[in-house]
Amino acid sequence: MNADPNIPTGTAVGKSTPKLENREKATGRAEYIDDLYRPGMVHAAILGSPYAHARIVSYDVSEALAAPGVVGVITGDDVPEGRMGAFIKDEHALAKGKVLYQGEPVAALAAETLEQARAAVNLIVVEYEELPAVLSPEEGLAPDAPILHEKLAEYIKVFDAGSEGNMCSRTELSEGDVDAAWDQCAVIVEGEFETEPQAHVSIEPCGALAEVDAQGRVTLWSANQSVFRVQANVCESLQIPMSKLRSLTPRVGAGFGNKMEPHIQPITVALAMKTGRPVKCILTREEDFEIVRARHPFKIRMKTGADAEGRLIARDCEVLVDCGAFADDSPGVMGYALLMSGGPYRIPNQRARGKLVYTNKLRFGAFRGFGNPQVSFASEQQMDAVAAKLGLDPIEIRRRNMLREGDRWFVGPKIASNGLAGCLDAVESASGWRAGAPAAAPGTKRGRGIAVSAHISGLLGTGAIVRMLEDGTIALNTGATDIGQGSDTVLAQICAEALQLPVEMVSVASPDTDGSPYNWGTTASRVTYTTGRAVAGAAREVLRQAMEHASEMLDAPLEDLELREGGRIAVKGSNEDLPFAAISGRAHWAKGGPIVGHHTLVYDQPTHDPKRSIALGLPFPQIGVFSFGAMISDVEVDEVTGQTRVTEAWSAVDVGRAINPRLVDVQIEGGYVQGMGFALYEAMVWDGARLVNPSLMDYKIPTSADAPHVHAIIVEDPEPDGPFGAKGAGEIGLNPVPASIANALRAAIGGTASKVPMTSERVLAQMQGGGDAS
Amino acid sequence: MAKKDVLPLHINGRDQEVFVRSDATLLEVLRDDLSLRAAKRGCNQGVCGACTVLVDGVPVRGCLTLAGACAGREITTLEGLSEDPITRALQEAMIVSGAVQCGFCTSGMLVTARDLIAQETDPDEQTIRKALSGNLCRCTGYVRIIEAVTEAVTALKAGATATQGDAP
Amino acid sequence: MSFVVSPSSLQEAVEFLAANPEARPMSGGASLVAMKNARLIEASHFVSLARIDALRGIRREADGTVVIGGMTLHRETAQSDLLGGDHAMIAQAAGMIANRVVRNMGTMGGAVGNADPAADYLPVLACAGAEIELTGPQGTRRLTMQDYIVDWYETALEPGEIVSAVVLPPAGQGPSVYRKLARTPGDYATASVACAREGDGVRVAVGACGPAPLRDAQAERALAGHLEDPAAISAFCEALTALADPVDDVRGSAEYRLALIPRMVAAAIRDVTGEK
Repeated sequence: MNADPNIPTGTAVGKSTPKLENREKATGRAEYIDDLYRPGMVHAAILGSPYAHARIVSYDVSEALAAPGVVGVITGDDVPEGRMGAFIKDEHALAKGKVLYQGEPVAALAAETLEQARAAVNLIVVEYEELPAVLSPEEGLAPDAPILHEKLAEYIKVFDAGSEGNMCSRTELSEGDVDAAWDQCAVIVEGEFETEPQAHVSIEPCGALAEVDAQGRVTLWSANQSVFRVQANVCESLQIPMSKLRSLTPRVGAGFGNKMEPHIQPITVALAMKTGRPVKCILTREEDFEIVRARHPFKIRMKTGADAEGRLIARDCEVLVDCGAFADDSPGVMGYALLMSGGPYRIPNQRARGKLVYTNKLRFGAFRGFGNPQVSFASEQQMDAVAAKLGLDPIEIRRRNMLREGDRWFVGPKIASNGLAGCLDAVESASGWRAGAPAAAPGTKRGRGIAVSAHISGLLGTGAIVRMLEDGTIALNTGATDIGQGSDTVLAQICAEALQLPVEMVSVASPDTDGSPYNWGTTASRVTYTTGRAVAGAAREVLRQAMEHASEMLDAPLEDLELREGGRIAVKGSNEDLPFAAISGRAHWAKGGPIVGHHTLVYDQPTHDPKRSIALGLPFPQIGVFSFGAMISDVEVDEVTGQTRVTEAWSAVDVGRAINPRLVDVQIEGGYVQGMGFALYEAMVWDGARLVNPSLMDYKIPTSADAPHVHAIIVEDPEPDGPFGAKGAGEIGLNPVPASIANALRAAIGGTASKVPMTSERVLAQMQGGGDAS
Repeated sequence: MAKKDVLPLHINGRDQEVFVRSDATLLEVLRDDLSLRAAKRGCNQGVCGACTVLVDGVPVRGCLTLAGACAGREITTLEGLSEDPITRALQEAMIVSGAVQCGFCTSGMLVTARDLIAQETDPDEQTIRKALSGNLCRCTGYVRIIEAVTEAVTALKAGATATQGDAP
Repeated sequence: MSFVVSPSSLQEAVEFLAANPEARPMSGGASLVAMKNARLIEASHFVSLARIDALRGIRREADGTVVIGGMTLHRETAQSDLLGGDHAMIAQAAGMIANRVVRNMGTMGGAVGNADPAADYLPVLACAGAEIELTGPQGTRRLTMQDYIVDWYETALEPGEIVSAVVLPPAGQGPSVYRKLARTPGDYATASVACAREGDGVRVAVGACGPAPLRDAQAERALAGHLEDPAAISAFCEALTALADPVDDVRGSAEYRLALIPRMVAAAIRDVTGEK
């Protein structure tokens, strides 16, 4: 649903408007969850399980209750049997009957001060009966494996998961006949790959503040990526009607997927209900590592076959995914990874299969890329491996195989806009690819590598309400949480453009389940595209009503009227016009009623085309539109230690239309650096059942001193139904990073990188091993 | 648990007396007792840098400084730098450049960047990157933060030149 | 009584610590307060050494000995004019600790007091032949690095003693270098090497590969005069590697550290001899 082609763009869309809340943030006045205070507020502390797998035998909270300042304690006995979960409802608000990972919250208490709460929480006594733990997917699938979710068969599932034993879900997708196709291939490469878990490390840890009013209704503020998912999860797990809980958002200190599904909100609400006091719970950094979620570790087996010209004939991908203790977004991550495992290429025979297995570790969940970075690490290296065998340039082989507009993606979704060719051209020229990497400094090796990616934006439902206030300015309400990426500003720009107003005339409401229309969430790179469509639709509705008023007020037929810059409706070719203020005044005081436009939508284009493909256990029947990206990384490897640093990177992303170019730049740059950390040194490490490095001393993320300069390039191939042609930008800039660095390593030192992160230890081994491992 | 004590402090140019646990950190006292919440708690281990404030004009970690060790010292937070020309130049530059995303690192980043510019009037990109390496940002990839610091330096030099030009 | 105590003389501090066995000395506070925040230590008091002038600053004695006071900030050590010749590696190491802001807080005495095996000062001080000065109720004493570090995270510090200074013998001509492998800038070292040219030989200490820096004076003597000989360098590296007791941790495996030692030592020797 593009905006009216008659409306000239450039009033607001296409401008790098500073974000609406930047001054507040730059002066330190922005209020995040930990900056909120309520009268009578108490502070929570959490008790975590010392065991990875155990039955809970009994609780004794008497000593804790008697400790100074303590106002209330909850255990699993205080929360109902309700279960929450995005795909499979397998999780209680607080552990009941069993614990499934070390650190899992088993009890919580609230006290007058945080110090008192932290001192008292260890006085809660819990008796356990330890059970043998499952520490890997392979262990989980073994015939005599201890079963984590004994009631798995009873859980509500939103798709055909095929859950069994410790297998949370399975997915199989295929087109053509992969097994028969290898014989047609002149070149075949095969390999096994492994990626380790990455922690989100938003600088703001998770937190919540809950308060119960005199009627028993809950008000809940929390750091979140969706006030609606918070509401749904808390209400499902605590068995409260959704009308009895209001979910709000303060400013949010980033999420990257960590704050999309619940963290500490159910426990915080349960404590507030138990104590009758407002309860604030802010996770320590350690708890943020230990009890929320992380990026899935993947084991990948991939095989790629091509003809003598490098045209892809077959791709087979098999993944084994560690789910952790609870399903969370995992079935979606695995399904999506399999869907994306072919990459943006024409491959006549393709198969992608996977098993997701529960283990007694922290749940893994949504993290920018949602499985795509992991499979891209394998698939984009195999493209380079095939190219190397045929003596083809890595960009050339991609051009030969890339999907074009009108093609279908694997399994069925149609591709409308596709700017991949433009992205390849852009990075090729910007980096000086043809000239090769600069000469290596003494003691180092140097190389450049390319990788491409596609990513969807879309998914599920969203809405927007646009109101024209009495004075003709606009109030916009979408329910979309701005987590810092600038969606408030972008949506305001779309609204302002559609109504030809300066963006300062549009106010953006903070998401509130009491008043905002439903928005699934700030995830899946979807807000600009999906919510933007709703905003454009709602603004169009407002414009339609305003036009009707103007037609009567100016006594002119509708077709003679036009919208002009500054929010004025005029008779074409004349100076006769009306400002919105006059129209709104008439609507409010004389005729028609206040002007309100609304528009809601659900992304409804099917993922699976059963005429072309087989799909078993596909978690999302509808998915979204496609954005594309290409990037080149230039790396330098220290010959003494194997340490790898990225000297420079070029990343081009086709976003359809950049509503706010500077904000797109920052998604590209930030995505690159976060991907670089994942690629080179970030890994959450378990020693048996214990997470070894839940601290910023031991888990390192990129600093300004090792982040490279990233050249962000915006490519625009307008998406026909995107707002002003826009589609998503949030994840596409991260997906190909590990692969492009691995391909640069191949150029610098030879060989295939089989594991992420490509630590200096692993690179030294690759340097010494040499050769092509595939 | 440590008992509460009256603690006289000098914050943002004013004498303030607080009644706090004698083992409280400066970060706790600023946020919980003085409502000066620009400094954030990102890790409470001194690594992320979101709590960076000035003590006697020098940037330090609020989370690793004991309030009880601050007697007689000048404490300056971002709120207290609102009239400082260097800070203001940095803020204006960050607002425009894309350096502010979620904003959680911004306060600490500004305090450190301010210190860099105060010590070095014309830092190059490598110097800026090294100076800010103790302020973690997960959103921006640092590119626009570096750009903002460079822009602020340019603006300050232009402002200084203009002032000189105006001198009688 | 207040949790934080700020004596203005070393005598006062030592007496307070002796009288209050549950009290801890606090230099910069960076490590101590971090541990307290993580609820890893309990203490009756933290005794701040910040007001004790005798502990501050770097000075050069008449005989060329350089004394770095225990309360000298990393920033001060990194910027000092008094660390010339082959003491330059100490200033270099100081500048690589953590980051600009933490270098305004951390101190020589605090870092040496913690003796984290991956800390930057340990190998450069060992290479420089530094002595660690301890002051306590029994008075002042000086130990070599070898005698000072007893085991993993365990030093010869007695209850009530603090690291009052680090004492360097007069600087040699050098050059000297500190090579550090770390995952990100400012992280603790995965492995590190301090190397100083001395006459026709070198002094070398390896960090982060055992509880204490590795140093082999006998092997250094054997290498002297043979710096051009790859076989001699190789034998020297083997000798140091044989002393290593590395662990597997999140920064690297023991196996990797053992592989790094000869590579990094050889590279450091090249650094100070100007070989490529």
